Amino acid sequence: MLKRWIGLTAVLALMLATAGASAQGYPTKPIRLVVPYPAGGPLDIMARAIGQKLTEAWKPPVVVDNRAGAGGNIGADFVAKSAPDGYTLLMGAVATHAINPSLYSKIPYDPVKDFAPVALVAQVPNILVVNPAVPAKTVRELIDLARAKPGTLNFGSGSTGSTGHLAGELFNTMAGVKMVHIPYKGAAPATADLLGGQVQLMFDNLASALPNVKAGKLRALAVTTLARSPAIPELPTIAESGLPGFDLTTWFGLLVPAGTPPEIVARLNAEIVRALDAKDMRERLEKMGAEPLSNNTPERFAAFIRSEAAKYARVVKDSGAKVD
Amino acid sequence: MDIGLIHNLSVGFGVALSLQNLMYCFLGVLLGTLIGVLPGIGPVATIAMLLPVTFNLSPISALIMLAGIYYGAQYGGSTTAILVNLPGESSSVITCLDGYQMARQGRAGPALAIAAMGSFFAGSVATVVIALFAPPLAEVALKFGPAEYFSLMILGLVGATVLAHGSLIKAIAMTLLGLLLGLVGTDVNSGIARFSFGLPELSDGINFVVVAMGVFGFAEIVSNLEQGESREVFVNKVTGLMPTWKDLKSSSGAILRGTAIGSMLGILPGGGALLSSFAAYTLEKKIGDTSKFGKGEIRGVAAPESANNAGAQTSFIPLLTLGIPSNPVMALMIGAMMIQGIAPGPQVMTERPELFWGMIASMWIGNLMLVVLNLPLIGMWVKLLTVPYRLLYPSILLFCCVGVYSLSNAPFDVMLTALFGLLGYIFVKLECEPAPLILGFILGPLMEENLRRAMLLSRGDATVFFTKPISGVLLGIAITLLLITMAPTVRKTREVAFQE
Repeated sequence: MLKRWIGLTAVLALMLATAGASAQGYPTKPIRLVVPYPAGGPLDIMARAIGQKLTEAWKPPVVVDNRAGAGGNIGADFVAKSAPDGYTLLMGAVATHAINPSLYSKIPYDPVKDFAPVALVAQVPNILVVNPAVPAKTVRELIDLARAKPGTLNFGSGSTGSTGHLAGELFNTMAGVKMVHIPYKGAAPATADLLGGQVQLMFDNLASALPNVKAGKLRALAVTTLARSPAIPELPTIAESGLPGFDLTTWFGLLVPAGTPPEIVARLNAEIVRALDAKDMRERLEKMGAEPLSNNTPERFAAFIRSEAAKYARVVKDSGAKVD
Repeated sequence: MDIGLIHNLSVGFGVALSLQNLMYCFLGVLLGTLIGVLPGIGPVATIAMLLPVTFNLSPISALIMLAGIYYGAQYGGSTTAILVNLPGESSSVITCLDGYQMARQGRAGPALAIAAMGSFFAGSVATVVIALFAPPLAEVALKFGPAEYFSLMILGLVGATVLAHGSLIKAIAMTLLGLLLGLVGTDVNSGIARFSFGLPELSDGINFVVVAMGVFGFAEIVSNLEQGESREVFVNKVTGLMPTWKDLKSSSGAILRGTAIGSMLGILPGGGALLSSFAAYTLEKKIGDTSKFGKGEIRGVAAPESANNAGAQTSFIPLLTLGIPSNPVMALMIGAMMIQGIAPGPQVMTERPELFWGMIASMWIGNLMLVVLNLPLIGMWVKLLTVPYRLLYPSILLFCCVGVYSLSNAPFDVMLTALFGLLGYIFVKLECEPAPLILGFILGPLMEENLRRAMLLSRGDATVFFTKPISGVLLGIAITLLLITMAPTVRKTREVAFQE
């Protein structure tokens, strides 16, 4: 009888010892990196690149799990409800943590309370591109054109509530013009119609728009961030072209479920910052138009998420966009 | 034939014929055929799984392999469509109609052979089309705005009645039901979720594979099990593995027409493949002796199969010339290119000609490999039919479930497929055909999206569908077609009325 009790206590003790994921052993098994978007997109590719770097640093593999749907909410919700042991990561984005909470009438997770931010991965600008047939070569000329002929300009976007859409709405509000928003199912069909002249302009993702700009099929007017982008430094920002204070970025970063031990979060942050510093990663980020990040700590990322959420709450409300 | 083209082709073949690239091409088409044959698992899931592997390959090898998987899957998809009435890809739905009937009559061999031969011919021709006309074709594709797409879809839906070889009323009803099912999801313009019952899994709509596997696959299995042993009958009637001269002669026209239609419609982003196979079938049904359509007419296999292969190859055009993906597989190819640090866009042709021409050359080589692979394998596939059904159907079910799950790693999808299986069984009992449902399911949402976008752009002016030239022409053809189809019925009722 006593032997059984000792045995049971020993087993319980061992279980308790391993249950609390100790930072010394981490990671001991494969890590799941949830990407809440379909495979092949820019976010997915960065996630795979980082995953590979982490796998090289630590032995257990990092496996990318694409869980797309509902604008990123399905993947984000999955991680929010996962065990906070550091083995499930989310590649969250501006959509899942800043826009959707204001855009959707209800989302199944709380972007602040359910997550512990780990590290920002990239901040990329959107770029204002027009079809070459549009007679505007600068942002100023575009605003004048929009004011002279109201209701003639259409801007396409990849979906309602995307940064491409909200950038356009912010532009409308700040410039006092009324460009009509034409939503598409994804950036690709939107770009196709932009090239074909069905819509006149788009606030597109820099990496996808740049090749068409370089080939002369589209004309770039400005970038949407506050600072110029290293990928195309000769292009002015919207803020310095007539709408001071205009600032919109698309960003994404890694998060874990709330309650994950801080030592694990710190280890992840250190390794990710190291991965982002590698030469090939920096080249990749530069090609995307991302600015290099400094002082990338979990606390700064958390503060960033909070400020972005507040900003987008305003933008979404002003635009009147909503998803049920 | 200008010197530039010959030079480019020689560069391309030089790249494609390297031992390494030949190996990757072979690997790609082999893998593609395998997953095409396995019901449920499609090229999207496979390419997504192989993306990390492409990290370590050279760009051209990676693209050759992934492209091989895609058009290889078109070859393989026809195998399941013909043998077990399961469309592996949306474009194989049409092949099920006559292909499966041919299999039931013991003519699975000729059906598979004609499918392979038609696919090879179409693939080769389409490759030449890409080589010669890629940039101008891309410009044509760009001329298709929302109004033009809408009119094209209307034309498609009018032709849906042609898919009915039973009651016309039931076909229309199934098309409408398909349209309704297609509405499930978040509306692109207003952001409101429709028919989603509050479930986030439904907020992006129902996946085509879920509906197809359920309504075609599960339902078929359930009704076969219900019939019991009588299913073994047609296996013994396997008459020959190769098509007869008569078959070849009657299919040759179908193959040519299918290739032409597929090459043209494939360049249109978003809808090329299904629309081309369906349009080819519709055209065939209007030509010549149409009595056997739906009961095992070989032209009904040759035309859609050629069309979908031609469409699959030409759907690379928007990708290679403009950097725009025309379907989810192309989006993954863009991902693969970006992993390699290549920005897809118009400059790929000029800055990296070895990439562009190498891919074109390897497409032709891949098609050759596929026909060499598939023709001898026909005997093996037909043998599969002789496997006792009680062993065959659990494996089919298993692969379907795995395939459906692999779409979004969601168990919900698998349960939904089962629900559609039940629905499909009810359709079988009511003698309603699933093909018009699938067509309505795919075309409906596209139609609605384009209609509303065209109206948004024209600021509410509905005449834009007629004033824009291409759109006007397409609508004109649709209306004419509708009148032609309805006229005999009108005449018949009038005759009947007179007789009384």
